[in-house]
Amino acid sequence: MTTAVNARKMEKISIATEVLVIGGGYTGLKAAAAIAETGYPVILADPQNAAESNNPFLIGIPADCQSQLNNLKESIHANKRIEFLPNTGITAVTGVTGDFTIRMTSNGAALEKKVGAVVVATDIESTPLNQIYGLPLSDKVVSLSELEQKMGSPEFIKKISTENPTIAFLVGFAQEGSPLLMKRVLDSVIKINEASSSASTYVYINDIKVAGDNLERLYKAARDKGTIYFKLNQPPSIEPQTEGPVLTFHDPVIRSDIELSPDILVIEEAMIANQINPRLAECLRIDMGPMGFLQTDNVHRFPIDSNREGIYVIGASRDIQSISEAWTDVENTTRRIQHLLGDGTRKVPGFRAEVDREKCVTCLTCYRCCPHGAIYWDDKAVISPVACQACGICASECPQEAIQLTGFGDDDMLTQIRTALSGVKQGASKILAFCCENSSYEAGKAAALFHSPLPEGLRMIQVPCAGKVDIHYILTALIEGADGVLVMACHAGNCKSETGTTFARWRVDNAYRMIEEVGLDKNRLQFVTLASNMAQDFSKIAIEMEDRIR
Amino acid sequence: MEAKHVMIMGAGIAGMTAARDLAGLGVNVHLIEKSGFMGGYAISYTCKATTECLQCGACAVERVLKEVSETPEIKVHLSTTVEAVSHDNNRISAQLKKGPFFIDPQKCTNCGRCYEKAPEKTAVLRSYSKNNHPLYALTAESIENHRDFFASVCPEEAIQPNAGVTSETLEADAIVIATGFEPFDPNKKPTYRYCDYPNVISGLDMERIKRDHGALVRPSDGKPPEKIAFIQCVGSRDERLGNLWCSRVCCPYALRSAQSVKNKSPEMDITIFYMDIQNTGKNFPVFYQACKSDFRFVRSIPVDIFPEPDDRLRLRVLDETAGETLMETFDLVVLSIGIMPNPENPAISELFGIELDADGFLAKTDALNQTLTSHNGIFLAGTVSGPNTIAGSMAQAGQAAGEVLKYLGVTQ
Repeated sequence: MTTAVNARKMEKISIATEVLVIGGGYTGLKAAAAIAETGYPVILADPQNAAESNNPFLIGIPADCQSQLNNLKESIHANKRIEFLPNTGITAVTGVTGDFTIRMTSNGAALEKKVGAVVVATDIESTPLNQIYGLPLSDKVVSLSELEQKMGSPEFIKKISTENPTIAFLVGFAQEGSPLLMKRVLDSVIKINEASSSASTYVYINDIKVAGDNLERLYKAARDKGTIYFKLNQPPSIEPQTEGPVLTFHDPVIRSDIELSPDILVIEEAMIANQINPRLAECLRIDMGPMGFLQTDNVHRFPIDSNREGIYVIGASRDIQSISEAWTDVENTTRRIQHLLGDGTRKVPGFRAEVDREKCVTCLTCYRCCPHGAIYWDDKAVISPVACQACGICASECPQEAIQLTGFGDDDMLTQIRTALSGVKQGASKILAFCCENSSYEAGKAAALFHSPLPEGLRMIQVPCAGKVDIHYILTALIEGADGVLVMACHAGNCKSETGTTFARWRVDNAYRMIEEVGLDKNRLQFVTLASNMAQDFSKIAIEMEDRIR
Repeated sequence: MEAKHVMIMGAGIAGMTAARDLAGLGVNVHLIEKSGFMGGYAISYTCKATTECLQCGACAVERVLKEVSETPEIKVHLSTTVEAVSHDNNRISAQLKKGPFFIDPQKCTNCGRCYEKAPEKTAVLRSYSKNNHPLYALTAESIENHRDFFASVCPEEAIQPNAGVTSETLEADAIVIATGFEPFDPNKKPTYRYCDYPNVISGLDMERIKRDHGALVRPSDGKPPEKIAFIQCVGSRDERLGNLWCSRVCCPYALRSAQSVKNKSPEMDITIFYMDIQNTGKNFPVFYQACKSDFRFVRSIPVDIFPEPDDRLRLRVLDETAGETLMETFDLVVLSIGIMPNPENPAISELFGIELDADGFLAKTDALNQTLTSHNGIFLAGTVSGPNTIAGSMAQAGQAAGEVLKYLGVTQ
């Protein structure tokens, strides 16, 4: 085994300063404009021609903002730093941050670009949910978008003011609602109330989602103007009669059925993640999150960061967001890109993890297991010093032991283990805890500083990620006299490197099998998950281990 | 170009994030904090994980605090307030009142002797994070009450009972206001009898109990409760109190806490009394389903709490779905208190010449930009401008940092 732990030598490398923005909705347009303003050339690829359509989630924003949005659209075309590519999809992405190669299909033709960073800004998709209620759309049954469009025409407003219709809304039964959907409904209700004080508005709703700016006030304003809300756990029963649908539900408080035949029934719409997100995630090798959105909401990262350096997911590509929230993302992305690309050169550590090219057999285990997409290959595996996050998972997984992580080389780690154990006073139980520096190492230090009870013979070994705990380290600790070994990882979903906890868990499971085979007590090894602010729990776990092995 | 100075008011999660994002970009960052510690309320929150992370963000606060404490470019002014402000062209001159610093940070070794030997539990304040220095703080009141003790307890002579206040003038080119919120005072809902019954606790009390005991226990006897009620919207969405806003964080913290408590004690019987459940994040539909199978949800807010033997509590509540009044007894009642405007907002508004909104938060003046105020060069971050989550406050603080750089014309 060779150990290569060189001092961190800094090296200057040059990186591409072009930025690719994917998505032509208002978030993508704003991102392109903001990044171009900082001096970097921008390629704006619009796979779904979002720039041509008015995204429904923007309807209802104040008129003075509308002009800002129109100006933004125009400025994109006039901006010489922005290359706007309508009808352009991403086919393949290779390389790492600072040096991505993007293959695209632009209006049917193949196109290749080099960029330093990628911003994903896909929009939300919206579909009416009338099918779920078994109702075809008609004059009497309309989707929320349809109603919003109609509200834009003076004739429709006039019709409301003369005919005083009864308009009912169904919200949050077919799909979980959101503050954004709530705002759209409330805006429409208030517009109807303003057009006619005699029109009747009813909102059948599950939960009123008011966790957004000013929504409680809007909700109250509509109520004060006569809107009636029926809060129900189940949707009303709906009879699709020829004169229009009839809605019925049982009110338990007044103990009777309430029936309504609205002139217009407005059906809720699903606001869902863009269907192209999974395809983009695959091309860009970034993690999908829940409900078809991008990124996992890992709290160790800034909300717009993906698991790969230099790829950012913003606005509705990562969650249902209002436009002001999406533009918050734009500002954050712009600053991160400035920081990343700088003047096109970057000082990086000579290497964070080094591949021994003699030993590497290009099996690509490292390429597959790297959670940050930081590894590529020429004829051997290469680790990008810009993209590498120094978690060490590759070093622990490499079957050839060809990878050493700076500062955490194998020889160093083994020496640390031996030194730690030999330092324990005679008579005390020796407990070695492998601690992830992002969680349990912090918790352990806090426990000591706050004088929480800790075993006298406890020694902590700091690792950059629990995924760097080799099975070899665990066995060495036991062979070298540890009475107990703790492998302390982050909670699932809280690992800064996403999969480190899973790798650590697997290795501990394997170690269990091995120590059982040689007849050692299984209780001497324990896998636990902790967060950095769990000093109390750290203390408890360590004391319990001591009690168990004593 | 001459180096620019940015003053950030408040070292909670928003202020710390803005400071971290601005440091090292050629601006001098001054982080002003009135208390003795960085971290704000958010640093006191506990991890809500079950076997998996529920994305509460509490550990992110710990991480940012550590980063700020390790960034020498950020000048942190603890125990400091801004007394007066004057504007001169684009420069703002602030009069700082600093101290008194009863513990000398140069001498203090964080040995904890003063804390452990203190004659009263509340005499010495201790930081929630290990990354604050000093870890301990003293108030003028505790010094006054225990002068002899403090004069002799510290082996390093780091305690200075006679420390005084100093003043300093700070010139800034831009300001980020991140002075945060105030938790709702449950005593303003007298029928919940918060001050009378020990087992009626606030969401914030729950955090402290979890932190001190590593589990949720009853204050009356230190024993784990078997049956818990969470009452949502305490102080929020309350027309009678004039609080016409949703605090956004209470449904997430109540549901996540309930999950983490239930994970440790699967037998725990948990009921959530609510008006409308708000989303916790993008996986909400899945998470809510899990919650519905683990807890009982009652769509109604209890009106009164009555005492029962053994410090138990009886709730009177109108069950809307059943249409009848319920009486039910619990071991512990958690009041999900909301986010209120910082009581200092009017003074801050006056000091800096920026507007308040109808609810008493500092007003965001641009519908498309959450950080802008009615004054050029002064930006907002976090809950000072309205309820927000940890992740949301961090995003807004990052945006504020970006706006500051643009305003100052600082480029990479």
